Amino acid sequence: MTETDEIFQYLNISSDEDLFADIPGRLRVSTDLGSPMDELSLINSITKTARKNIAPEMNFLGNGIYDRFIPPLVDEIIGRNEFLTSYTPYQPEISQGILHSLFEYQSIISDLTEMDVTNSSMYDGFTSLAEAVRMGYRINGRNEVLVPENIYRSQLSIIENYVLGLNIKIIKYKFGNDGLIDMEDLKSKISDRTSSIVVANPNFFGLIDENSFHVSEIKKDALLITYYDPVSLGLIIPPGGYGTDIAVAEGQQLGIHMNYGGPLLGLFSFKKEYVHRSPGRLIGLSNDNSGRKAFVMTLQAREQHIRRSKAMSNICSNQALLAVASLAYLSIMGSDGMKKIALITMNKSKRMKSVLSHAGVAPVFNGINFSDNLFYFNRQEKLTASNISGGIRLSDLSDYPGYKNSAFFSVTEKTADDSIERLAEIIGE
Amino acid sequence: MYKQAHYDEDFLNSFNTGNDFYMEDVEDTYPVSIKRKKLELPNVRSVDVSRHFTRLSEMNYSVDLGMYPLGSCTMKFNPKYADYIASLPEFQNVHPLESESRIQGTLEVMYRLQQLLVKISGMDFASLQPSAGAHGEFTGILMVRKFFEVKGELDRRDEIIIPDSAHGTNPASAAMAGFKVVEVPSNAKGLVDIEALKAAITPRTAAFMITNPNTLGIFDDQIVEIADIIHKNGSLLYYDGANFNAILGITTPGIMGFDIVHFNLHKTFATPHGGGGPGAGPVAVKAYLKEYLPVPVVVMENGKYSLYYGLKNTIGKVSSYNGSYGVVLRAFAYALKNGNNLSLNARRAVMNSNYMARKLSGSFEIPYKTLKKHEFVLSTARTGRRALDISKFILDYGIHSPTTYFPLIVKEAMMIEPTESVTKKDMDYYIDVMEKALEVPEDTLKSSPVNTSVGRIDEIAAARNLILKWPDPFENS
Repeated sequence: MTETDEIFQYLNISSDEDLFADIPGRLRVSTDLGSPMDELSLINSITKTARKNIAPEMNFLGNGIYDRFIPPLVDEIIGRNEFLTSYTPYQPEISQGILHSLFEYQSIISDLTEMDVTNSSMYDGFTSLAEAVRMGYRINGRNEVLVPENIYRSQLSIIENYVLGLNIKIIKYKFGNDGLIDMEDLKSKISDRTSSIVVANPNFFGLIDENSFHVSEIKKDALLITYYDPVSLGLIIPPGGYGTDIAVAEGQQLGIHMNYGGPLLGLFSFKKEYVHRSPGRLIGLSNDNSGRKAFVMTLQAREQHIRRSKAMSNICSNQALLAVASLAYLSIMGSDGMKKIALITMNKSKRMKSVLSHAGVAPVFNGINFSDNLFYFNRQEKLTASNISGGIRLSDLSDYPGYKNSAFFSVTEKTADDSIERLAEIIGE
Repeated sequence: MYKQAHYDEDFLNSFNTGNDFYMEDVEDTYPVSIKRKKLELPNVRSVDVSRHFTRLSEMNYSVDLGMYPLGSCTMKFNPKYADYIASLPEFQNVHPLESESRIQGTLEVMYRLQQLLVKISGMDFASLQPSAGAHGEFTGILMVRKFFEVKGELDRRDEIIIPDSAHGTNPASAAMAGFKVVEVPSNAKGLVDIEALKAAITPRTAAFMITNPNTLGIFDDQIVEIADIIHKNGSLLYYDGANFNAILGITTPGIMGFDIVHFNLHKTFATPHGGGGPGAGPVAVKAYLKEYLPVPVVVMENGKYSLYYGLKNTIGKVSSYNGSYGVVLRAFAYALKNGNNLSLNARRAVMNSNYMARKLSGSFEIPYKTLKKHEFVLSTARTGRRALDISKFILDYGIHSPTTYFPLIVKEAMMIEPTESVTKKDMDYYIDVMEKALEVPEDTLKSSPVNTSVGRIDEIAAARNLILKWPDPFENS
């Protein structure tokens, strides 16, 4: 007798149809979902599909997601079944491994950003930004949010969707001809109605924005939300160093494959006085009943499974595995590695601006770029012909009114020097 | 006997064994005005990073170790062929802004999964953009909102009705999208109380959000009548797909009368849960809601795949890019591999759930209708023992506890979802342990677990004395 037969006998049924007797016949379907496949055929078939993708000869895409080097140890760690096939640590005594790891993730991101508290992850950078705006509203109840005029269209769309229920007005502030925040314009828009001010550093033109370091001096009692680039923090002043209240970022660069833009990692940090208003899970340190160090999910009363419609956010599943990847990445690289990666990136940007400039493709701004560099360029067909990825138009990403004929070329530590020369040859005038 | 490893593992920032990730020196010509003063990341050798996480992993329970029947979480086996496929560099190394002509393979997978989800749900169009189940709910409710906004009814349609047995994410998602949440009680059978629903419905009702089978694991056979009541009121019916593993290939939300559905690919389609995520929460809708989907969606014309942004009433974007592609790809591999056998998985999951429910009904009260779907809820209230204590006791036997204290309408609830991945032997062992929890002395129960890496944890202390970050190792030096 098979196991199924034994169970049928126990349940006193003759077929599993009897288990669906409560689903009325008129609701039953018999959908053809295709013949099952053996594993070899499946792998062959999908590998064939994969090969329809064409790898570019050179890749200068960036603007938030970057092709960075990932030490193989990172994939090894997050590939461990014990992490990969576990879930949210609802039973902490048997889940200390993931809890300890997520606690360390919270810690390392707090150290990187010099912020007090980091939650144990959000979906991605843009939803983190939108959740930060919501959190700002919860903190001070004010109705205006100031965002940079060069904000990406997709970021703005997500923020708009996330604040639909809150009666919030989104106001854009301007940028100067140097590509940095226009402080006079920003100042003129800050009032006692301002809930939060969103600044980006590097900003969405790709520049290290020194003006962002001084926004806290003019923000009155509005909240400062900083959208940062985590790799840039290997060298650049972190959000906590210039009065940021909530710091958010996309963490993909920290050891996560691009995967066509998902799954990603939303980094979310804030000052400790706001912890009860914050979204997402928090892992806290405590002891077990014999005094040993032990970790648990804490302040769960902020979350949907307890607070339901009054929760700080609806988030349940998050990006725990990717958070572990970023922890492993930052630990392997260390302070020195992160600083060098940041420097290499900036040096390559500097070189690219110089080499392309000599080839007649002028950079839009003179400032210091991190990964993304904006050039006056609109001959994208040259890129296609040479199988080069990059040259994303500013107007494809943002509704910014100026620099219509400009496009981005981005670099990472993986960008080969000779590929910059080669790019200059191909797109030069 | 089960014995989980325990290491008194230090924090990475206190190892101080010396970073050995060698990189050449790099020129630095940048002004101090932009530079941070210090950065103190862990200073640790790669071998210690590797050992640290290996040791931590030994302190973590997982599906690959044993039964993990968290109700409503569908902790089934995560097939390794899907992980292998997701690691193919042709897929993994694709930038989200890459031009469509270079990523026909990537887009083909998305298009085909969209089509499969449409078929499986009996809906007409799908978007893969939401990043998790709750995110799918939020996306669905944003569509509800936009639908009434376009109709000019948003001012007066500001309520969403939700049963008291619903997942917590339902009311949270509805509230986040700006709706008032109206809760309706379940009836004595654990189903929607039709009279209470009728009383709750008003011209203000925008939508009714439910899952079917519900969180009690019971199929609500009044669903067609419910759909009728909702639609006659001009409201929409939302399907929470968390429990889809019960009905895959048997029935569809489409035929039941739902207008919007979200899926949890990490549950129904067997993708690994990663210690809490990533998930993926695609949404599917009936044809008349197609124009409201988030953009872009993947379309195909003459064998060419492309991203389409032209939906007239689109809610715009909910994720940074095009969704959780690595999860989508694994789910696609699972769906393609199983094909028509997907419904066999659902049947087996339901069979297992009924087997465990019947077996445990001798020792525990299992309220409401006997015939269960993929999960069931028992109450420990009448045993005189707390669900909390039992859930800790069973950890000592190398098995993960069910979801506890949910749904809220059952006292001392334990919600058990065995999935199709368990054998009769696994279930019999689990049942034995559950029954043993009623026989052992109360003290044994209260002092458990003892075989896990740590014993019971002081959760109150964790909340009262918040420590959310490791100590600075240089603080006292």
